[in-house]
Amino acid sequence: MRPLTETETQTLFTKLANYTGTSLKNLIAPLSDDPNDRYVFRLHQSRCYYVRLSLANLATSISRDKLLSLGTCLGKFTKSGKFRLHITALPILAEHARYKVWVKANGEMPFLYGGHIVKAHVGRWSEDCPEHQGVIVYSMNDTPLGFGVTARSTQEARRLDPTGITCFRQADCGEYLRDEDTLFATS
Amino acid sequence: MAPSRTSTVKSKHAANKSGIRNSKNSGKPQGDGVSKSKKPKSKGPPPKPQKSAGNLATLKKKRRVYTEKELGIPALNMITPVGVEKPKGKKKGKVFVDDRESMLTILAMVNADKDGQIESKMMKARQMEEIREARKVEAEKRQEVRKAKLDETKEGMRKKRKRPTGADEEKDTTRNEAAAGTKPLKLKKRKSVSFA
Repeated sequence: MRPLTETETQTLFTKLANYTGTSLKNLIAPLSDDPNDRYVFRLHQSRCYYVRLSLANLATSISRDKLLSLGTCLGKFTKSGKFRLHITALPILAEHARYKVWVKANGEMPFLYGGHIVKAHVGRWSEDCPEHQGVIVYSMNDTPLGFGVTARSTQEARRLDPTGITCFRQADCGEYLRDEDTLFATS
Repeated sequence: MAPSRTSTVKSKHAANKSGIRNSKNSGKPQGDGVSKSKKPKSKGPPPKPQKSAGNLATLKKKRRVYTEKELGIPALNMITPVGVEKPKGKKKGKVFVDDRESMLTILAMVNADKDGQIESKMMKARQMEEIREARKVEAEKRQEVRKAKLDETKEGMRKKRKRPTGADEEKDTTRNEAAAGTKPLKLKKRKSVSFA
């Protein structure tokens, strides 16, 4: 377990900034209850964790191969140095989301089973959203379901037919069940 | 022309070695009657000290520079491969970013980049939208013009048809037959005929 290097931090932040706005800096803000403690990013077996510093320090007492996970797993660094967000990062992304898509009740299950979002299933969406922009997907009662990338800008999507794809799925909560074996195990 | 060139070139190199050549060609490059008269008396010496003094001064300076450079030369004259060379006074391995300030600067840079990208995307989308709107308006105009032309031709055709009157009368008779409710009468007749 180690802190991130400069390039790793940059790739991580660029990835997060796809989905979040400027409020992302609140992620590394000092905590109000304990001025000495703060949240840090830690790399463990190519996975990046967002964790309290006190907890990370405690975790050093566990041997590397025995330590499975700590804090919130944001995703993992690929061998080529890119960063891949996991569904486990959803609570953090949802908190600082820049663009949002709300899915109607009839579109929730298709999305949670791994389908893209068609226009007929979209209940609401953020205005002025450009093409190929990261968005967080919510149900109509504001429960975050996953995240994806817009296929069309908001204006273009208005002219789309009901079966046309408006948002490409990248991760959804169904992965907790579908990828149960690989989501937390490293091998 | 040629000898003068060679003389100028050679005179530089040969000046230190021998004064004989200088004495031969000295007339052209130097062009001093006084120097000619002096040279035969003391063959080499007079030009030598002049040039050698300047050269010596530069040589001395150069030697001093070399001595200074010698400080940087490693004690053992070994070849070090490019990748192996380590910068002095630098930390070995990865440099971690764990303090808030440096993270914030990275974040600010990334955010500025992303904002710029999104802004440019939006601008592009708006421009495309404007172009599309303009095309749509043009297409609508064209269609209207076409429709207007079609209507005109239609009306022209209608007017042409109305002129011949005999055809209209025939039409009227047929229409009357068809629309005057002759059908029920005919049907009754047929029934009566069939029953009869």
